[in-house]
Amino acid sequence: MIKTTQTHRLRRAAASIFLTGAALLAAPSQAADTDLYGPVAANAVQGGTLNFGSLVEPPGLDPYHQGSDARIRFTVLMYQGLFYEGADGRALPLLAESYETSPDGLTYTMKIRSGVKFHTGAAMTAKDVAYSYNYLRDPKSGSPGAGDLSLISSIEAVNDSTLKIVVKKPSAALPMTLGNRYGGVVPINYFDKPDAGTSMNRVSVGTGPFKLGEFRPNSHLMMVRNPDYWEKGAPYLDRVAITFIPNSASLIVALRNKRVDLALLNRQQDISQVEQQPGLTVKRWRSLNQKAIDLGSELAPLGDVRVRQAIALAVDRNEILQASVGQYGRVAYTMVAGMQDEWGADPATLPHRKVDIDAAKKLMKDAGFDKGMDLTLTTINSYDWMEPAAVTLKQQLARIGINLNIQRADLGVWIKNFQSKQMGFTFNDWATQSDPDLMFYRHFHKAPEGADFRNWNDATASELLDRGRSELNPVKRKAVYVEFQKRMADTVPTIMLFSADLVTIGHDAVQNYQQHPSGWYYGLARAWLKK
Amino acid sequence: MGLYSLRRLLASVLTGVIASMLVFLLVRAVPGDVVAQMLGQTSDETAARTLRAFFGLDQPLWQQYLRWISQALQGDLGQSWLGGQAVGEKVGQAFLVTAEIAIFTLLAAVAVGLPLGMLSGIYDGRWGDLLIQGFNLLGLAAPVFWVGLMLLVFISATFGWSPPLIYSGPVDSLRDNLEMLALPVLSLGLLQAAACSQFVRQSVVSAFQQDYVRTALAKGVPVRSVFFKHILRNISITLITFMGLIFIQILGGVVIVESLFAIPGLGRLLLSAIEGRDYPVLQGALLVIMLCALVVNLVIDLLYRVIDPRVRLS
Repeated sequence: MIKTTQTHRLRRAAASIFLTGAALLAAPSQAADTDLYGPVAANAVQGGTLNFGSLVEPPGLDPYHQGSDARIRFTVLMYQGLFYEGADGRALPLLAESYETSPDGLTYTMKIRSGVKFHTGAAMTAKDVAYSYNYLRDPKSGSPGAGDLSLISSIEAVNDSTLKIVVKKPSAALPMTLGNRYGGVVPINYFDKPDAGTSMNRVSVGTGPFKLGEFRPNSHLMMVRNPDYWEKGAPYLDRVAITFIPNSASLIVALRNKRVDLALLNRQQDISQVEQQPGLTVKRWRSLNQKAIDLGSELAPLGDVRVRQAIALAVDRNEILQASVGQYGRVAYTMVAGMQDEWGADPATLPHRKVDIDAAKKLMKDAGFDKGMDLTLTTINSYDWMEPAAVTLKQQLARIGINLNIQRADLGVWIKNFQSKQMGFTFNDWATQSDPDLMFYRHFHKAPEGADFRNWNDATASELLDRGRSELNPVKRKAVYVEFQKRMADTVPTIMLFSADLVTIGHDAVQNYQQHPSGWYYGLARAWLKK
Repeated sequence: MGLYSLRRLLASVLTGVIASMLVFLLVRAVPGDVVAQMLGQTSDETAARTLRAFFGLDQPLWQQYLRWISQALQGDLGQSWLGGQAVGEKVGQAFLVTAEIAIFTLLAAVAVGLPLGMLSGIYDGRWGDLLIQGFNLLGLAAPVFWVGLMLLVFISATFGWSPPLIYSGPVDSLRDNLEMLALPVLSLGLLQAAACSQFVRQSVVSAFQQDYVRTALAKGVPVRSVFFKHILRNISITLITFMGLIFIQILGGVVIVESLFAIPGLGRLLLSAIEGRDYPVLQGALLVIMLCALVVNLVIDLLYRVIDPRVRLS
């Protein structure tokens, strides 16, 4: 067996090199990565209720069957997986205390954390863990997380404190996959009850730092401190009262009048209204989100790589960023801002990065479009950044003879087109977990292994993604993903534009809150209120 | 009266059946489905198939309709596809909140609009009438969301106060309840008071031009007596019609106000159900609104007869 501590050291060393580089950049804050959920506060005051204002609302709280990001943001505080998605891209053991990997990389033996109790009061054992993950990975469960675990061939409890996971192929992303996005460990046989999923809206059965107090759809979610939480002293707050306020103007008024202590805002015009407000602190955090242009090769002119390259050369990312979110974002090329330091290719080495209208025109001419062409861009209703971005892009593409028509689609229609790989030329807005395999594989690997939503069908890229998945050495693994990113920048299935920052606005009384780059509210488990 | 009531009831049932079909088909005409919403853009096909089968979306439409309507007739509106909660409970809770807003708005609108409309009608063409018509115009022209937003921002900036964010029922905390509903009712009330005032004014002006009023006035009956004995009774039918319409309109149309003030009512429920393609909730909420409309219309029809015995119920 190879102790993973060595692997962790290597990854830490690699990470420290990248983070040194990152320190040189004037950048938004990046959450601390050494502790679960954020930094432990030595001087924290226990107690109090933090009022959190949320523009989005989870449709339900079942972490197994509800795929909405609005659900994940909150349920990560009530349900826990084996690993925690560290802000720096490392998977830190959570309900797993430690783990070892066999020399062939196919068997993971995990020691399960002791002294963990469910919100029901029952003690957690490896049998509960095995049951939970076996349920999650069963496609019949109907969970959106099932596909992520398809590499696993078996999960079994060796004894009450040891779990064995066997995978079909080595997967460096496995620990990150066993995180908190979907599922979470629940008591054995929990889903035998016919109304199990619905019950999760009334009573939480996880192991997280907070328990469900009350969930009133269209109104609020109350989470209360879990007194039996396995990490001594945590969390610091007695309650987190989350109010769902769908209108940002009302949220801003509530922040000003101290009805709300902390909120996440994402529109420039909203943030600017509270920036100068005494008693409120605005903080920017890097995100794992990307705003991108996707170029589906099924759409005739985009099947020609020269057209895609010409478009890439005509796109001025910074101009689009400024038009869309102003200063609250970072230009991205092939990697989201939250992972650039750890996994991103050096932008200077990427082809088609800089605007070059002459080269773009030549490519258009070579492709037979020297007299220009019409192209239709799809934007999604209610994604505010897309409107100004579309207008800016129209002006940019006009310089190489492309007449851009803009059509708006409802999210449901857009998702349907995306899933059926008929997306054409469209803006996209998506976030990832902090591992390149989870970010790239399903989106870009050719079928049937991946979904290849953009019909890229690139054998070289797919081979690189396979290598990246199975490579367990982090330094070599990064090299593989850098190659992949160069391939992506060269053949342009997508043009990543920027990562919007996560912007938190909090009252001065709110202490030690760190925003996770995923946008999930892990930081509430470490926040406390100054009296 | 009895036969008429029975006939109206049967007509209402028929209307209800047709409307339930329309509701069922219309919500499905919205592009996209709940599975795509639940699983997101990178969903697994097997999971999508499993969910479609679970929700019965793989069955023909007529089968889906029959299953839903037969359950609804037994009082079971199903469960929310997104949250799993019982639709009846969800819609019931939201209905009570919106009904409270509707009743308060109606009271405010009538309390302000009725006297203004009467004064305006009596003093037709004079400066008082013009002033009231100016108010009516302002109330009718100002969008509800704008009025609500301005009230919220103005009161917040001036008094440092904003309404509570978590709804409390009148039984739980009357003070919190009233604090939460004050601004929404004010925002909606301005529009409805203006509409009521305008409505009443037209009726009063028109009544003053009727032969029987002219005759009464010519015979020397005091204006006050003519107004209270003849005109007010004659405009009461139109006033009741107006109140019924307003009530139904508020039940189904307070989406913006409820979103602005974070009120967990029917409008917000409908909006979230449309966004999530949560058909059972959407159908349940629309069905309740539709049934309310039928009941209110029926009650109004029957009230006509009570107010004015000359009205023929046939």
